[in-house]
Amino acid sequence: MIECQDIYSSHKSSLNRPILNGISLKINPGESVALLGPNGAGKSSLLKAMVGLVPIEKGEIQVNGRKITPKSLPYVRSQMGMIWQGGGLIPQLSALDNVLCGRLGKMSSWSSLGGFSKGDRQKAQTLLSELGLAWQSQEKVSKLSGGQQQRVAIARALMTSPPILLADEPTSGLDVVVTQQVMAILMALHQGGITLVLVLHDLAMARQYTDRAIILEQGRVIFDGKSDNIEQEYSQLC
Amino acid sequence: MLKNPRNYFFIGLLITIYIWAWQSLKVDLTSLSSSGQYLGVFLGDFFPPNWQVLPQAMEALLETIQMSVIGTTMGAILSLPIAILSAHNLSPVGLRSLGNLLQNTLRSIPSIILALIFVSVIGLGSTAGTFALGIYSIGYLAKFYQEAIESVDANSLQALQVTGASWLQIAQYGILPQILPLSLGYTLYMFEYNIRAASILGVVGAGGIGFELVNYINGFERTKATTFILVMLVVVTVIDLGSSKLRQKLTEL
Repeated sequence: MIECQDIYSSHKSSLNRPILNGISLKINPGESVALLGPNGAGKSSLLKAMVGLVPIEKGEIQVNGRKITPKSLPYVRSQMGMIWQGGGLIPQLSALDNVLCGRLGKMSSWSSLGGFSKGDRQKAQTLLSELGLAWQSQEKVSKLSGGQQQRVAIARALMTSPPILLADEPTSGLDVVVTQQVMAILMALHQGGITLVLVLHDLAMARQYTDRAIILEQGRVIFDGKSDNIEQEYSQLC
Repeated sequence: MLKNPRNYFFIGLLITIYIWAWQSLKVDLTSLSSSGQYLGVFLGDFFPPNWQVLPQAMEALLETIQMSVIGTTMGAILSLPIAILSAHNLSPVGLRSLGNLLQNTLRSIPSIILALIFVSVIGLGSTAGTFALGIYSIGYLAKFYQEAIESVDANSLQALQVTGASWLQIAQYGILPQILPLSLGYTLYMFEYNIRAASILGVVGAGGIGFELVNYINGFERTKATTFILVMLVVVTVIDLGSSKLRQKLTEL
């Protein structure tokens, strides 16, 4: 469960307001939530705040009842996998090595110096195979297509089997067919019990793939409800 | 382009700068044309090459290459911490200006001055030259490495941070693979450059091929100097070709 209680990020002079400007919301286990809103509304920043990458000036974020502090950060991050816009992969490493990087937090700096264990490598290979990349595991990520890269990013986020998955525009830059493939993977994970929080820009996708939608504008929540009718709600609000 | 009156101003300014520089230097073309015959005599002294000194030339050149190998490696190792210190995505402002100051200071000292310093500290010979090359390389390699570090994709590092990776793990799995191809390429380029730089350091007695080269030219044994120059030309060309092929391969990584 993720709970934001009236959170504010630091003041941004170019906007003349904080990017996160008093957000309260609660995401329950097993939900699939779409974060919507115009550019600069604070969607990506909210996602980053949930993993402790955007400092909070006022208010607090709790993950499974634990407030995010420097001390609780390792626990918080162990509960979440994150898929970045554009993948956030290391282009020079192979698909398999990128997936293995998802395990780094569970290893000491000393033990990862010499590489990864056989068990970890097998798990990474299995994940890649499940996502249809069995034959590309040794391929450099820079040589893969956009959709394949996004699947590598998903596999990396799943390496520690987190109960919550955050994704920042997971289908940006992908064509229609690949978008559907990526979303199908995310939906299968959701059906397996993973909580999903997706930043999306496509309202139809939010309606089709998620149960709940939260619309942000200027750093505030202006709508929080079922995503069945989101296109109409959105056009009335924004 | 000529529609903008501002461009006329800049063209005028450029012409003025050229005229100013030419006039101030008092370049005398008439003396150049009359001195043509002396140039002919001077260059004539260099032919034909005296192949008797070929073994010595090879030996001196090997020393030059060894100086470049050790000097460049020394510079590369010392450059890395300075580059990390100077990179805006890794280091706080205070340390950054310190790193940049250090780089600029080293870059502003010509290699031959560094060689003079080391010759007076360590004594004549290739050790002084090697140290001079090492320190000289820092000024450039640190800058190159810094730029490679700064071009690393910030998202990819944050992504590793979110997995809970430590600073060392991020450096090993995030930064190193991204800067390695570019940095190795730059280091190879520095190695090539240092071979040429090392050949001049001999002039002040810091080892390498330059020492004999200058002695033969000044001692009117110019046909021997030609042998040295030719050997140098062949080796530099071969190394240039090899290393540019290698650098091409590295950028494809």
